[in-house]
Parts: sequence; structure tokens; C-alpha cells
Amino acid sequence: MTNFNPFLIHEQKNTIVQNPEPFKWVFDVQKDGILTADFLQTDKNLDVLVLLNGEGAKSKINCAYLSNKNNRLNLDIKVVHKVKNTFSEQKIKGLATDNSFVNFCGLIEIPHDSQKCDGRLNHRGVLLSSKASILAIPQLEIWADDVQCAHGSAVGPLDKNQLFYLQARGLNKFDATRLLLHSFLADVMPKDFESVIEKWMVENV
Amino acid sequence: MALLEIKNLHAFVGDKEILKGLNLKIESGEVHAIMGPNGCGKSTLSSVIAGHPAYTVTDGEILFKGLDLLKMTPDERANTGVFLAFQHPVELPGVGLAQFLKTALNAKRKFLGQDPMDAVQFMKYMNLRATALGIKNDMLKRSVNVGFSGGEKKRLETFQMAMLEPDFCILDEMDSGLDVDALKVVGQAVSVMREGKRSFMIITHHDDLLQYVQPDKVSVMRDGQVITTGGADLVHEIEEKGYDKF
Repeated sequence: MTNFNPFLIHEQKNTIVQNPEPFKWVFDVQKDGILTADFLQTDKNLDVLVLLNGEGAKSKINCAYLSNKNNRLNLDIKVVHKVKNTFSEQKIKGLATDNSFVNFCGLIEIPHDSQKCDGRLNHRGVLLSSKASILAIPQLEIWADDVQCAHGSAVGPLDKNQLFYLQARGLNKFDATRLLLHSFLADVMPKDFESVIEKWMVENV
Repeated sequence: MALLEIKNLHAFVGDKEILKGLNLKIESGEVHAIMGPNGCGKSTLSSVIAGHPAYTVTDGEILFKGLDLLKMTPDERANTGVFLAFQHPVELPGVGLAQFLKTALNAKRKFLGQDPMDAVQFMKYMNLRATALGIKNDMLKRSVNVGFSGGEKKRLETFQMAMLEPDFCILDEMDSGLDVDALKVVGQAVSVMREGKRSFMIITHHDDLLQYVQPDKVSVMRDGQVITTGGADLVHEIEEKGYDKF
């Protein structure tokens, strides 16, 4: 699973992108800059740092992960709202199966003078085997007192009642599972990644 | 041969026995109401027929078209012709209704050895039924059951039933939480669909839906068993005298 580019920038304005080593990214978003980027991680760790360095800077990071076998997958996504009036949204969703272990650390940091910022961080993971595990640590570090922030995380197996509902309409367990997983990942899965995700599901679900 | 024949069915949820030797026969083309007080096992019966994994069958058998239903997975049961209209339809965020119905319909066609419907055929097929049931276009584009009112969800179950054209429909407390207008729509849909050889098992604890759909037979359940079976007049007897009489 190495013959695809697991990284896509959809929108980039007033942003300096650095890629000092594979799977390590630093985004310097300057005044009124915009960054929208998608990641798909399978067997490589990911380290993302977003610096919102100018007023009006906006970043949106989507990350999907697919972990299998004995993989140990570390995902670090850190956003620093360096100045006031900056906005960020991070959406991370993934699947873990077999004996794999996923460690997600997400951090939104808002220093003392960065008022009127808005930062959002959401992680959701689906466990597809009883031996897989996902450790999610979403964190907010807020020193300013006039900001909006939200973070959340949920990890669990697929909903049995949803599966049964689909099966009761004639979909076999495999197709029902696949349909649910595709719709689960839909909002963090750009079209370019679809074939990779489909292949992964055929091999791992 | 009856379409559905249940013999001495015992079923547990966890270590609690809910169905305690239930017997029931439903013929082709028959509308059979199952009535009974809360907690008598009506909904368990519908879940067990559809194959919900939360229930364990310890004894007895369910024959559908002469086939052993208990040996089939829930999807095999559905594709053989069993349809369960859920009491509490499940929300499927991100799963579009039209895509879901197309997948379900083609799963059934594949099971029956028929060619899948293409997009054009499917849209025609779907729009015809949607119009008949007053399902609006924007509903078809939304995620299955997400943000739908109770009445809309039930209407959608009826719509799915009309789309999949099953031989045997189980309506599990379809009438709970429905206003008169929604009840009428469901009642009319059932009346249209019952023409021909289709059978219905209508689970309810009062006579609301049965005012719109005249049942051929009525069975009364109590404590995990069917204790009596009779004609439509049994409904009035229950309404008058309650379940304590049985």
C-alpha cells in the first residue's frame, strides 16, 4: 500500500508548506491564508504542525486512517493559533483491525493574546477486531479567555443495530459493513482516496 | 402448506426466556394481527423471525415457504421474502436513502438470480412508488432515517416495503406514535400491497391500524405464547374487555 500519494492539498493561500521528512509536515498559514489538506494514513506515522501566523488565517485538516496487522500507527496533529482571529478545524476518522494499535494525539493551542479564535478537533475511530485498539488524546491548551473551542472523540465497534437493519433489508454482512464504513469515512475521504479505501476494505473487512 | 409456520418456539434474550413454546401459522395472502399486552413477547417474535442476533432460539422451528428460517442469516431471510418494518427504524448517517434502496433491491435480485437494475430503471421504479406513498424528492436524497420525524420514519418503512415487494411483511407496532393521517397512509399502503398473495403479520396492542386494515385472523399473545386465535371480531372483544379475559 505504498503506490499512492496519501496527501492532498485542496486549497492553499498565503501558506508556506514544509515537508522536512516523509510524513512530517509544517504549514505556516499567514495573514488571511487558507489551508485545506487531506491525509490518508495506513502504515506510516504522521506528524502535522499547523501554525496560524496571521490574522484571518484558516486551516482545515482531514485525516483518515486504516490500520491492520501488527501496525503501530502514531498520528500527531498540532495546531497553534499564534495570533488572534484565526480558525482551525481538524477531523480525524479511522478504522483499526487485526492486532493493530493507533495512537492519536491532537492538540489545539491558543496562547494568551490570541483572542477571538475558533478551534475544533474531532476524532472518531471504529474497531473492527477485538484485538485492535485506538488511543485517542484530543487536547485543548487555551490561555486566552475569549475564544471558541470544541474537541471530542469516540471509539467503538460498528453499531450492531445498524448492521442488523441493513441485513434485514437483504444486504449480506460484508456489504452492510462496507456500506457503513464508507459512509463513516465519507466526510474525510476525498474521491482520490476512494480506490485505496475500497481495496483496503476488500482485504481487511 | 402455510407460508409461515412456527412450532414450539422458545427464545431467550440473555438468560431470560421470552418466547415459551409459541405456535403460529400464517397462510399465503393472510393478514394476521398479533395482539397482546406490553411485555408478552410480540416484538421479540418479530425480531426472532427476522434473525436479530440479540435473541437465542433454544427450541422449536420456523418454516417459511417450507424452508428452515432459523438456519438462514438475516439477509437470506430478507431475500427469501421476509420484511420487518421496524418499531424503531435505525438512523444511518451518511447512507443516502436512494443508494441504500438500490443496493438492497439489487442484493435481492442477485439472490434470486436476476440481473441488477441499472440507474435509469431504478429511478423509474423508485419514483413510481415514492409518488404513490407521498415520499418527497428531498427525502430520497437524505440519509436513511436521519432527522426524520416518527411519522416520516414509519412512512419510510412502508416505502421500503413497497420497493422490495416481500412475500411476508411484519409490521412491528407500526401504529405507535403515528397521527391519524400517517396511520391512514400506512393503512392504505398495506391495503394496496395485500392484493395478491402477500401476507402480513401486524403486531399491535390496540386497534388503531386495524381500523384501516381488516385482518383475516387475530392471535392473542400472553407470556410468550399464542393463547387464542380467531377472526377479526376478536379485535372488538379485546377493545371492550381488555386482555385480562384471555
